[in-house]
This record gives sequence, C-alpha cells and structure tokens, in this order.
Amino acid sequence: MAEITLAQVSKRFGPVQAVTDLSLTIANGEFVVLLGPTGAGKTTSLRLVAGLETPDDGRVFIGGVDVTGLPPAARDVTFVFQQYSLYPHLSVFDNLAFPLRSPTRRTPEDEIRRAVGEVARLLRIEDKLQNRATQLSGGQMQRVAIGRALVRRPAVYLMDEPLSSLDAKLRSELRIELKHIQQDLGATMLYVTHDQTEAMTLATRIGVINRGRLVQIGTPRSIYEDPADIYVATRLGSPGINLLPRALFPTLEAPAAAATIGVRTEHLAIAKGQNGAVTGKVDWIERLGDQNHLHIDVNRQQIVSLVDPDEGLGVGDEVAVSLHKPLFFAADGQRVR
Amino acid sequence: MRAAYTPIEHRVRGLSDKAIAWLFIAPTMILLLAINLFPLIWTIQLSFTNYRANRPNAPLRNVGLDHYQTILSDPEIWQRMQATAHFVFWTILLQTVIGFALAYLIDRKFRGHGFWTTLILIPMMLSPAVVGNFWTFLYQPQIGLFNYVVSFFTGLAPSSFQMLGDVTLSPWAIIIVDTWMWTPYVMLICLAGLRSIPDYIYEAAEVDRASNWRQFISITLPMCLPFIMLAVLFRGIENFKMFDMVNLLTSGGPGSTTELASITLKRAAFEAWRTGYSSALAIILFVAVFGLANIYVKALNKVKAR
Repeated sequence: MAEITLAQVSKRFGPVQAVTDLSLTIANGEFVVLLGPTGAGKTTSLRLVAGLETPDDGRVFIGGVDVTGLPPAARDVTFVFQQYSLYPHLSVFDNLAFPLRSPTRRTPEDEIRRAVGEVARLLRIEDKLQNRATQLSGGQMQRVAIGRALVRRPAVYLMDEPLSSLDAKLRSELRIELKHIQQDLGATMLYVTHDQTEAMTLATRIGVINRGRLVQIGTPRSIYEDPADIYVATRLGSPGINLLPRALFPTLEAPAAAATIGVRTEHLAIAKGQNGAVTGKVDWIERLGDQNHLHIDVNRQQIVSLVDPDEGLGVGDEVAVSLHKPLFFAADGQRVR
Repeated sequence: MRAAYTPIEHRVRGLSDKAIAWLFIAPTMILLLAINLFPLIWTIQLSFTNYRANRPNAPLRNVGLDHYQTILSDPEIWQRMQATAHFVFWTILLQTVIGFALAYLIDRKFRGHGFWTTLILIPMMLSPAVVGNFWTFLYQPQIGLFNYVVSFFTGLAPSSFQMLGDVTLSPWAIIIVDTWMWTPYVMLICLAGLRSIPDYIYEAAEVDRASNWRQFISITLPMCLPFIMLAVLFRGIENFKMFDMVNLLTSGGPGSTTELASITLKRAAFEAWRTGYSSALAIILFVAVFGLANIYVKALNKVKAR
C-alpha cells in the first residue's frame, strides 16, 4: 500500500489534449473515484498512473518514488480493464495465478494455490476454477479479471470502469463486494467511472473530471451538496438538478452575481394551492412505485421534483413551489455563495 | 399494420418467393454441377473401366476394382506418394515458421511498414509458370544466381552442383521455390491473426509483469494458433495437388525424384493415355486429401472453440 501523487501531469494525443495539468494525491488506503463523461480524460489519468502512458509534462509518484519513466511492470500496480482482459486459452485458475507466476516474483506453488483459492472464494468463482476463461459468462469473466488484480498485494489498485459491462443486478452486487474488499484490505484504489451511483457509493473522495481537467475533488457528500460549478452539480443526482433562471424566483434572496439557481429535486417543497410566492402547474407525473417524479411548469420552465406517492397531486393541479438549500451560479457557471 | 402488408410473391409476376430464390441460385448450381460434380461422377465411373481417351471407339470393358488394386499395390506409386509427402511436409513447415516470423516482425509500427509488406507479397502475386521459368534460370549451374550466391558463401565452384539435376538436391530445390513463393501467403494469414489480438490483453500482461517471452507463449501463440492452422490447411491442400511449378522446373526428374502424385497422374492420363487407370488414381488422391482435410478441420474447430 502506498500513497499516489500526480504532479501537474499533462498528456496529449495528437491534436487532443487528454489530460491537462492534473494534480492529485491519493492517500494510503483511500478509495478515489474519478467521475466524468466519456472522453473526459479519466482513463488516460489511470493509464498514466499504471505506466501504460507516459506523461508529456509532470511527474507521477507511487509511495514517494518517482515512477514517471518506469514501465508498468516496474511499478507496483494492478489494472482492471473495462473489457474482460482474460487470457482466453487459460483456465480460470491459471488466469488468476498469472500475475503470481511472473519470474520476478517467484511465488511457491502452494502459496499460489492458497492465494488463488482465497480470491476465488471472495469473488464466488471457486467452482469455476477449472473452467476455461471463455466458458464463463460476462459477469464471471469480469470477476476473474478483478480477481487477477486482487491476487497480488500491489501499492495501488487501478480500475477502469470494471463494472460497466455487467448487468444492473450484478453491478450492484459487485459494487458492494468491491467496497468491502477494499476496506478489508485497506487498499489504495483509483477507480474510474461515468456512473454516479458507483462514484457515490464507493468513493472516499470523488474527483470530477471535465475535458481533461480535475474540476473538483472531495467527499461524495461535499461534491453533492457543495458543487464548485454547474458542471459538477449536473454530474450527480437523478433526476438531475433543476437549473432555473434567477428571474423565476424574484423574491428569493440571492447573491448579486447569481444568474442561475440550482435546486435538487428533493429540495423543492411542493404544496397544493396558489398561496405561495411562486406557483406552477403539474404537467406530468412519473410513478416509480416508491416515489413520484413531478414535472411542474413554472412560467414555461420545467421543474422536476421528488414527491411522496401519497401526496395526492394530479396532472393539472396548481401548486406552490418553494426552495430549500438553493445553489447559486454566476453567468460563467461558477458557484457564487 | 398487418393488413397493409402485401406478400412479395403477389407483386412479382406471380412467382412465389421460393421460385424466385431458386431462379437466383440456378445459374450457380448448374455451373457447379457441370464443372464439379459431373466430372467427379464421370471420373468415378471411368475408374472402373479400361477406357482410353485416345481411342474413344475401342470396346469398353468393365474391370471392376482392378485399377485400384494395381495402384495400391504398386511400390512406385507409393514412392510418388512419399515424394509428395516429403514436399508437403517441408514446404508447410518452412512456410509456417518463416511466414509467422515475418508476420511477427512486420506487425509493429515502423517507417516503410507498408512498403515492406508489399515487397514481401510480390512472389505470391506471380504466376507459377513465371516462377518456374525464372527459377530455372536462377538454378542454372553456370550462370544462375542461386549457385553463384551459394558458391560465394561456401567457396564451392558454382558449377559443381546442380540443384535441378541432382537426385538429392532436386527435392529441396522445389521446396525452396515453393517456400519462396508461398511464405508471404502464410505471413498474410498470420498477420491477420496477430492483428486480431486486442492491445489490452498485452497491456494486462505487462501490468502483470509478464516478460516478452511469456507474453509471446501465453498470448500471441495460442491466440494466433487457429490462424496458423488455417494457413497450414490451405497450403497443405494446395501442395498436395502441386503440379504446374514443379512440372516446369523438373518435370518430375531427375529420374522420378521430384515426381509428385499429380505429375504421375498427368503422365498416366495424357502421356500413357490410361484414362481408366488415371481416373482411379485421381479418385484415390481425392479421397486421401478429402479425408485428411476433414480430420484436420475437426481439430481446427476444436482449437477455435477453446
């Protein structure tokens, strides 16, 4: 286990600036999730740590050692790829044993058997050990791929959207398992995803990346409640945060620079009647069972709100809308307080 | 929506779907029957007779399995088979090893990569007749480049050996020419195999600290194996039937050292005019290739299914 530091790292692929001036320190035992859309530079950042890419500028440190110029094998890392990167002609056991059988490690065979057995138990693939890698289902393959990372005790575990190719049920199961495993091992993990649920549930800290830049980093709670700009605010929350023009709520007290009001769906108070400062009309209701999504038309602005199914509101009802904890953003998207 | 649907057969001149399908397939089917199946059946039929194509009016007699018996108990035929096997085995071995090695070398990014690939592919694009003719010149003992190069490196006199005229050298002479000509083909197939291996598997192996050698043994070779086996199959079938190039180079000589099965066949059919006999030989060769290829394809499918 070790601390990872990226110091002003930049990487460019031809005309594309993939990562710009990225500085980030991951403490020992921390689970950091990089969150961002496709093409934001998350994977490149991960590959820079792994040594699969060399930065154009900046340095990479693992455990205090400058590893910037070292190949992946010389860095003490494991990497789980988005695709099932198994060795197709090998059995599951041999796939899991592969990293241990590296000539630089010289692990004794009974030690290998013990380590592989342990990881297989952890990931519940014990009964598949003798199967060929290609005979597994997608979920099993990805568990083997994760297992291959876990079988070693590297300085840092790097994971590139390891769950994105799995179905929803398996994804949530493995998500919980992964978090348990990380806590049990006290592992340092850098994890890349575009899935906000994964980011929120797994991370000690979330780093939000946009166009190659780290926009904000902090605990899931602080990222959710205290976003630095509109981009970060829209990355989290489902349905997404409501972004409304300042003029829609003329009586609301707000900083002078505020141009946009951001309000999360659960921070809207909806009351039947027309006695509020701002009123709207219920346009549409999405019933999800445990909750309803209310689409409200306020002066031709769509607002989405979470309400209890027992609220008793119907389409066409007039409602009063008031805000809790609104967030204010300036015209350039930056947060104003 | 269902009501608005008019089946196609009502729209196209009253022909049913099936009839139209047959209409489209018919030309190909007729062609295949005429040039593949019909000659095959006719050959089988002729192999049981004493028919001679140069005497079409001679009385036809049914000889039963006589030809087959004669051929299979003839030690000379077995010698030809052995020569064929020798040729097939060594050409496949050399072409596969060299072809794969070339593919492995060319499958990386370097300057002039496309140029070198094209250059290597040239022999394959030549006609076997051209190849046979100009290797005859290359092997010429007095003026041939091949003898000159060998003598340059070994100090032997250039005219002290004859590649095409020597009993021990001539089988190797034709192997060299075939290897020169067809290694690029094997390389091309192996290259397709190498390109089909995704980068991330190598990256995973690199993170797993596998050496280059280990990556080669546990990723490159096994994942390329179905392609290599396919190349071996194609080259095996082709070389079992080898005729044109060898016929031009040695015509089966000296003596009968390079007389491959297909040359024997041609001689029996069009020099001795023993049509019935050569038909039987052709059927035997066909069954042998067909049987071996089938067994091999089964093995290939097993490897692919892994």
